[in-house]
Amino acid sequence: MTQQYDAVIIGGGHNGLTTAAYLARAGKKVLVLERRHVLGGAAVTEEVFPGFKFSVCSYVVSLLRPEIIRELDLPRHGLEILPLDGTFSPMPNGDYLWRVNDHGKTRREIARHSKLDAEAYDEYGKAMVEMGRFVKPILEMTPPDPTSLRPKGLKDLAFLGRRFQKLSADDKYNQVQLMTMSAVDFLDQWFETDVLKATMSASGIIGTFLGVRSPGTAYVLLHHYMGEIDGAFRSWGFARGGTGAISNAIADAAREAGVEIRTEAPIEKILHANGRATGVVLKNGDEIHARVVVSSVDPRLTFIKMLGAEHLPGDFVEDINRYKFRGSSGKVNMALDGLPEFTCLPGHGAHLRGAISISPSVEYMERAYDDAKYGRFSRRPYMDVVIPTLTDPSLAPPGKHVMSCFVQYAPYKLRDGDPTWDDQREAFGDTVIDTLSEYAPNLREHILHRQVLTPLDIERDFGLTEGNIFQGELSLEQLFFLRPAPGWAQYRTPIKNLYMCGSATHPGGGIMGAPGRNSALKLLADWKAGKV
Amino acid sequence: MAATRDILIIGGGHNGLVTAAYLAKAGMKPLVLESRLALGGAARTEELAPGFRCPTLAHAAGPFEPKIIADLGLAKHGVEWITPAVRAFAPDPNGGGFCLYDDAERTATELSKLSTKDAAGYREFRKAFERIGKVLGPILRTTPPSIDRPTAGDAIAFLKVGKNFRGLGKRDAYRLLRWGPMAVADLVSEFFETDLLRAAVAARGIYGSFAGPWSAGTALPLLLQAALDGQAVAPAQTVRGGLGSLSDAIASAAKSFGAEVRTGAPVASILVRDNRAVGVVLESGEEIMAKAVVSNADPKRTFLELVDPGDLDPDFAGKISNYRMAGVTAKVNYALSGLPAFHAPSHASTDGNKHLAGRIHIGSGIDYLEKAFDASKYGDFSPEPYLDCTIPTVSDPSLAPAGLHVMSVTMQFAPYKLKAGDWSAHADALGDTVTKLLSSYAPNFKDLVVARQVLTPADLESSYGLTGGHILHGETTLDQFLTFRPLLGWAQYRTPIDALYLCGAGTHPGGGVTGLPGANASREILKDRKKIHR
Repeated sequence: MTQQYDAVIIGGGHNGLTTAAYLARAGKKVLVLERRHVLGGAAVTEEVFPGFKFSVCSYVVSLLRPEIIRELDLPRHGLEILPLDGTFSPMPNGDYLWRVNDHGKTRREIARHSKLDAEAYDEYGKAMVEMGRFVKPILEMTPPDPTSLRPKGLKDLAFLGRRFQKLSADDKYNQVQLMTMSAVDFLDQWFETDVLKATMSASGIIGTFLGVRSPGTAYVLLHHYMGEIDGAFRSWGFARGGTGAISNAIADAAREAGVEIRTEAPIEKILHANGRATGVVLKNGDEIHARVVVSSVDPRLTFIKMLGAEHLPGDFVEDINRYKFRGSSGKVNMALDGLPEFTCLPGHGAHLRGAISISPSVEYMERAYDDAKYGRFSRRPYMDVVIPTLTDPSLAPPGKHVMSCFVQYAPYKLRDGDPTWDDQREAFGDTVIDTLSEYAPNLREHILHRQVLTPLDIERDFGLTEGNIFQGELSLEQLFFLRPAPGWAQYRTPIKNLYMCGSATHPGGGIMGAPGRNSALKLLADWKAGKV
Repeated sequence: MAATRDILIIGGGHNGLVTAAYLAKAGMKPLVLESRLALGGAARTEELAPGFRCPTLAHAAGPFEPKIIADLGLAKHGVEWITPAVRAFAPDPNGGGFCLYDDAERTATELSKLSTKDAAGYREFRKAFERIGKVLGPILRTTPPSIDRPTAGDAIAFLKVGKNFRGLGKRDAYRLLRWGPMAVADLVSEFFETDLLRAAVAARGIYGSFAGPWSAGTALPLLLQAALDGQAVAPAQTVRGGLGSLSDAIASAAKSFGAEVRTGAPVASILVRDNRAVGVVLESGEEIMAKAVVSNADPKRTFLELVDPGDLDPDFAGKISNYRMAGVTAKVNYALSGLPAFHAPSHASTDGNKHLAGRIHIGSGIDYLEKAFDASKYGDFSPEPYLDCTIPTVSDPSLAPAGLHVMSVTMQFAPYKLKAGDWSAHADALGDTVTKLLSSYAPNFKDLVVARQVLTPADLESSYGLTGGHILHGETTLDQFLTFRPLLGWAQYRTPIDALYLCGAGTHPGGGVTGLPGANASREILKDRKKIHR
């Protein structure tokens, strides 16, 4: 049986759904195919234990582009963002650092550690906002081809050059540093308090296989800061109902625009003839024909698994094989019958409502990375912990809680000769609980259930190759016009009518939606120009 | 008060001398002021023990720019180059090892006995770097463009580079863009499979840097250096009499053009009037007035020590204090009673000790180098360090009594700031660590040691004037190279103080005995000649 569509989208993650919605709004007949029974990809809410709902993988929002919220009218489709207020960093010496959205309070708290840092914090905030303003239009553009001789490519490059030239001398200096330096080197120039630098540098390494002292991590710092820049919501937040609610809102908007969505529809391969994509074949044998195929899954799955290297140019295959995934994080989700009590700040105050960051010192962060470099999970990992039920009680039965721990480092590739991830899963879970218990000794007695996701599990369950949550490292050589492969950063591929729209394309991972939107706009422009 | 001098050069290192020679050749009257009695800065030869002379810090050219050799007629001034066929010998800790030669084909043939993939990878590496070097090379030899005030010359240079870049073809052009920010460990794995070979090549990316091969951006130093010679590993080229002879020859050329050189004349401060450099004060108290001042000292020493803080824009001073130059290199020099018995490279067509004539790379694999780096992050020196050694007496027996040898060892990683406190208490332990490691490769080594000199990062700062003990005058990272070296807006060898210039390795294209920063600086100074002489 065959069916005909204008476009078929591989993968019902938030980017695939976004692309679908934009295409349908432009009048295209679109079908989304999702492998699993739920939509959302890594932005998914699941009832892992009866009565306990988890944002299983991705767990906070802030990066979602405001123009997508606006254009797709997501609040009408059920999107509600609840604030996630502050970051609480307990320290082993019994002290803590607790930054909140209230600027005055944060200043006073930082001043408690260092008066100089409290002053620098204002300056830093201002500088980062400027940098964010500079980067913002870049997130929305299709990367130019710097090797192209076409006037369009040169024009785009000149546009970037002029923008840079227009920055003030200080902003230029900051921008260069942000693009190239390590998070710690960058922060060292502003601050002296160790725990402050450690906690702030953490956003420079999330999801990467880099340490806080590795050059290039300052950029990821900025990437994560973007959410605090747009007026829409100035900080990180939760979606009511978990991150799956974001995907569901986008899916709802897509359906309203006429998109057809099928779940439990895994794809076997991409159909193509004469270098042109023509549709897909499902695992069940169904053939679906379409003018255009858009893949939201990562390049390895798209090109090597679903298309076949033999149909692609050798150089391109080499580039795709070289594309770095190197998943470095795991996730531990817990169902609790009570709240953890931190020794350094007892009680169930507002500090538990924000992010709890286990990042007590720069050395702690760097040592966590050292373990991973040689193929072991960190003996004492960096963790970003949230208890969303304090903000959204609907996620658990009354009086009970869900707690989500993002854990780094957990390298996908373990040391040669060591047990596999399947054999180390529980030890990894134990390490997470042991680490947390050092700060909140009562945690252990409240754990009803735990779900441990190793990078291998993330690969298997969410289709993220090597467990990389960003569909590939956010390192400089894999960003902008190099993402996912040199010469193929414009959402097109060597196969005509096959497009990419996932986190492996510019501007990368996170619940941002920008790759999905950019890709749809590029595809629609090509369509209009008769290139499809 | 004595008459006002034409132009002063602070520091008689090789770059300062190159600048002096070019300026003098163009008719200016430079006076070079060197704090020590011997010239050469980091490129000098000193007596280590009676009868044993050794290149105490830098032990090979970086490679030294051929055009400077020709322009200054260095051959006439007694430079006799020694260019061993072997660039590097990488002994395997388990026996055997291989050599890398100047000659690509010879190297590939030797590597083919190790791995056919590596032999092919080596040929491909050399070809790719030769092509890319043609684009990068000219950039290293020109002044970085100004972003704020691009001149017509900048625009032309940019178009030229753009044209060269496009001429590379898509594949190489993208390689260049992709490689720049990469970890050198990833770069070498695109060509080679043997871990020791990967390490030997990756070493060029971390030499002198506070970085391990897995640090992003370490491919950049490899790219920049390979741009000069298209080679995978650093050159082993030196001069007869040690690198100090090169410095002496440049000084001799400079004098022949009319430059004056004063040694034993340490500068205490730079005199500034109305934001213009007008001279210097020596530590002796003597004031020397001049129309312009050029500093071959590193940016931190120049601006934070030699210039009075009141004469400097605080914002600029703040940025300079953030310029990263915490060194990680120590130097251990040995006087030896014989040649260390390194096992011979298993696949080499060995002829005597020729394999010991180049650099000797000690660092068995990528993870080994990375682990050597790890300790320095926490303020310890590596218990199992990465070593880059030369035995200059193999090619130049004149440096030691007959049959005896000197060996120069660059040791990484030894962080400038030691957690355990003062370096002076740890110098011997560091020396012992190096001796022990070398003895594990050449068992007779420890018995050959007649004398040993240990230079810790603290010594490199105090005796060689290198702030932070950083042998490259600052990290070579993406934010501190080209238009950003030493600072964005100040990469054209000029400074916020009128008539004060920089000419050392803290300017583009950075460290190594190349002479290029000095030559580039002299070109910019000569452009300002009218302004200086006004």
